Formats: sequence, C-alpha cells, structure tokens
Amino acid sequence: MFSVSPEIYKVITQTSRYLFAFFALMLLLFALSWLYDERRKRRERLRYLPEAGNIGEMVVIAGSEQLPVDTWFPIPREGILGSLRSCDLVVPCPGVHARHLAFSWQDGTGLIIKPFPGCETFVDGVSLITAEKSEMPVMVHGSCLQVGSAVLRLQLLSALEHTNRPFTVTAPEPFLPFTDPPAQEYRPDQPNPMNQPLIGNPADGLSQQESQSAFDSVVVSVIPEEHLPVQQTAPRRKRADRWKEDFSE
Amino acid sequence: MSKKSSPRFRFVFAAALLVLLALLVPALREGDQRLYLLAAGVTGAMLLCMIIPARLFSLDRLILSIALYLGAVGIISLATSNPDAALMQLLRCSAGVVALIIGAMVIRIISPSMLTAGISSFLGLLLLAGSLLVRDLPFPFTEAALILMVISFSSLLSCYGGAAALLPGIIGTVLLLLQGMTVEASVLALTVLLLLWAADGKIGLVLAALAVFAAIFFGAAYFGYLPAFIPGEEHALSLSTLVSSGLFGSETVTDLQNSALPASSLVYLLSENYGLVFTGLTLFLYLPLILRGTSVAGSARTRFHAVLALGCVLIFSLRIPAGLLAAFGVLPLPLNPLPLLTDSLPDLAAQMLTLGLLCGISSVNETNLAEDAHLAMLAK
Repeated sequence: MFSVSPEIYKVITQTSRYLFAFFALMLLLFALSWLYDERRKRRERLRYLPEAGNIGEMVVIAGSEQLPVDTWFPIPREGILGSLRSCDLVVPCPGVHARHLAFSWQDGTGLIIKPFPGCETFVDGVSLITAEKSEMPVMVHGSCLQVGSAVLRLQLLSALEHTNRPFTVTAPEPFLPFTDPPAQEYRPDQPNPMNQPLIGNPADGLSQQESQSAFDSVVVSVIPEEHLPVQQTAPRRKRADRWKEDFSE
Repeated sequence: MSKKSSPRFRFVFAAALLVLLALLVPALREGDQRLYLLAAGVTGAMLLCMIIPARLFSLDRLILSIALYLGAVGIISLATSNPDAALMQLLRCSAGVVALIIGAMVIRIISPSMLTAGISSFLGLLLLAGSLLVRDLPFPFTEAALILMVISFSSLLSCYGGAAALLPGIIGTVLLLLQGMTVEASVLALTVLLLLWAADGKIGLVLAALAVFAAIFFGAAYFGYLPAFIPGEEHALSLSTLVSSGLFGSETVTDLQNSALPASSLVYLLSENYGLVFTGLTLFLYLPLILRGTSVAGSARTRFHAVLALGCVLIFSLRIPAGLLAAFGVLPLPLNPLPLLTDSLPDLAAQMLTLGLLCGISSVNETNLAEDAHLAMLAK
C-alpha cells in the first residue's frame, strides 16, 4: 500500500500532532454548542407547550380558606398529594396528611390513586381503604376525589378517551334526495312570486316597522332557541394559546 | 445566501475527519494495509451508526455521537502501535454499539414493577456474588452488575418507596467491599444516596441510609477488607506516563505501556502518542455527555425513567473523577480505566448499555413531547 519516505512522514506527524489537538478543541466546542442548541430548542418548544408533561387539571369543588373553590392545579403523570409544600399537589385542608396519597397515570386506564396507610381517600364516593383490590376505582375525566375536607374534580386533556360517562352520538338524519319542485304551469294573469315582498307591504296597510317586527317574530318562532347563536363567554383558561407550530411533525 | 450548518453536522463532520486523519497518518509510515482498512472501516462505521441506527431506533444523537467518537479514540490509541489490537478494539466497539441499541430498546419494554426489580436485583447480585466466589473470572462483570442494581433501585423506588429500594443497594455494596473493590462500592453507595435524596426527598431516610453505608465502610475497614490507601509505585508511574510525551506527544511511537499500569486502560497509550493536550480535550467530552444525561433525566415524565436516567449518569460519571484523580496521583485509589477508553469487552459493553438506556429514555421523552404537541393542536 501507499507509504511515504521517513522525512516526509516526520513532517506529517509533527504537523498532525498540532492539527489533532486543534481538531479536539473544535470537537469540544462543537459538542458544547450542540448541547446549548438542543437546550435552546427544547426551551423554545416547551414555551409553546405550556401543558407539556401534564395530563389534566384538578379543580377544587370544596376546599378551605387556604384552598378556595374553583382553584385549579395541573396534574403531572406521577406524584404525591399532601399538605406538605414539597408535594406535587399541595392540598392544605383539614384531614389531609402531610403525604396523603400517590397518584400515577396509566395510558388507556386513567389516574390510579394509591393512598398511604391510614389516609382516608374517596374516589366518586368509594373509599379506597375499604375497596377490594380488584374493584379499586380509577379516576377518569370528571371523577371526584375526596381527601379530608377537600373535594377535587379531575379534568383530563384526553377527556374523550378516559371517561365513564355515557357519551352518545346522535346519528345525523339521512340526506333526502334532492328533487326539483314540480313544474308549474305559467299563467300570465298571476304575479311573479319572485317580485313579491316577503312579509308586509305598505300597500297592504302595514308600516315598515310593523312588517319588520312581524318578520322578527316569525323568525324567532321558527328557529329553535338552542340553535340561536349564544354569546360566547371568555374561557377560564385558554389552553395552548401560544401554540404556533405542530412539533409532532 | 449560504445556510449556516447545524452544530450536529459540524460535530459529526469534524469527528469523522479527525478519526480518518488519525488512522491515515500511521498508515503512511509503512503502508500498512490493516491501518488503511481501519481508517476506512472506522470512519464509515461511525458515519453509518450516526445515521442509520440513530434514525431507526430514535437514539439521542449527541450521546450516540460522543460515545462513538470516544470508542474511535480508543481504536486510534491502539492503531499507532498495534494494528491487530486496534482491529480487535473495533470489534469490541461494534459489540458495544449493539449493546447500546439493546439498551435503547430495553427501556421501552421494562416498566417499574416487582418483576423488573426482582429480576434485575437477582442478576446483579448473582454477578457480584459470582465474581466473589470465582476470583479468577476472566471477564469482570462489575459494571453490568452496577447497572442492574440501578435498574432494580429505580423500579423499587418508584413502586414501593425509598426504604424498599435501599436493600439491594446495601447488599451490593457489601459484596463489592468483600471483593476489595472500594471505588465501585463507593460509586454504588454514592449513587444510591444521591438518588434517594433526589427522588424520595425524605431527609430522615437519607440520613439513615448514610449511617448504614458509613457503618458498612467502617466495618469493612475494621475487618481489613479496605485496602491501605498508600500511594504506590504505580501512581508515580501513572503520572510520569501521562506527562512523559509532553503537551503534543512524542515523535517516537510507544509500543507497549508499562506492565505496572492497568492493561485495559487506553488513556496512557493515548497520552503517550498524542500528548496531554489532545488527551485532556478528549476527556473533556465527558462533560457534554454528562450534561445531556442530566437533561434527559430532568425531562423524564415518570419517576422510574427519571431515577434510572440519573442513576445511569451517576454510575457513568462518578468513575471519571475517581479514575483521573488516581491516574494523576492525587488520591491513592486503585487505577481503573476511564469509561469508554478501555479494551475490556464486558466493561465497554456495560458502559454502552448505560448510554443506550439514556438514549432510550431520551426517545421516550421525545415521544411524550410529540403527544403533548398533538394534544395542544387538538385543544386549539
């Protein structure tokens, strides 16, 4: 195979020793910049996904002075609920132990609650202390958790996949085949219906205002109330409002 | 307008170029065919591994790239003096890459349960007890046993709490001390204590565990199982070997390292052939690897994955200061090879498996984040 004379080889080795040290330095810098770049991208990504890592939220139905009603907190996939500030969910209510229960999320099943010994816990009214292991209730969307004097309702982000409430979908009415209206014989003595006013005509003895009110009453009586556009209220918390890009792609 | 290249591309390109040149330069001396084969094979394998398995198994590119580069540096250190040994090292590194992929796949299979904890504890303690009973075992399985102990600890901690998780760690430490492996025992004990502190958070339990480990180490010292920490001849020799070639390496090629130094450690050959600057800068690459590992642990969604990732990082990284301090003669500890710069196949495979577990957890994190993005899109 190809080789060089000892003199040339000496020059190459002397040059390469410095070159390799330079390359090693560059590699270290590239690795650190790669690490920094990845961190920056991740931070940016998480900024647009404020709910990342959470499975939903708990809303306080009944609480205490320190935990007023309608307070909510995000729920991580796993954690400890208790009255200590070091817990993942801090519930400062009478009857809640320092470390009351452990919870963990299981995909397809729901939120599994494991109370610590001696900590009374209810899920949808069923006590977890006395419940059989096979019949241990799992929290799903809308389930209520009672610890001490606090009652918390679970609201999941993936609500439709994890609910025990009947969710019936009414089938849409079948489309009727479109048929042309029967052709009417044209009679020149009849006025053209397209040229007639819809409701009211000053010539019929009704003023413009009266005809308008008559029109409104007809419309209101024809359209059911539930189909009327309701005034949208501002959501309690707008989720992912800063979301800009689908990073799953 | 030219587009700025990404840091990943720059790192991969520079690493491949450095490996190619470092293997071509000694090949030019005598025109050795094996070295030309190594130059083409190692560079090609590095590039292929950084593309195909990384894409197929969704491996963490940064961890994979640095692991592959450090493996290639081990081959480079041997190639100058012994091309046959370098070819063997290439095969060991290939086995290590397979172990890394296995580690990344295993993490998707295992879940925190009594079964996982039982199997990993049993295997880990069996390996430690086996090496205690059979002293002349040709392959050391200590690294693999440590990883299994960390998996067992993580599983028990996330299922049954810290008190239950302590037991295998304590037994493992005792078994390691009985074999005279002080560094490994200290690494395991420190890892267990730090994980307990980070994941469980009960200060009472951490203090109790600290007291138990202190009692074990004092007991080992009392019964004579701890070696005397006196700087020996090998420590002075280690330091002189590391600095013998100066900052940028010597002109003469070093064939074999001194027999008093650990045979499996490649850092001495690297320093003798390429100098202290190149060796030091290469060893600094452990830093981004460790930082990336801690980032993976911090991003994990489940406690099991977080504790396991942190345990892998601690097991991997605690050996580095211990090895460096011993090599430079600062601490009279036994001289152990640094991670990934070893020619021991079980050690290399276990270290790659550790990095594979980290890659797998990183992949799971990415999947979870993608699901979150999907949910956010639906909610919008």
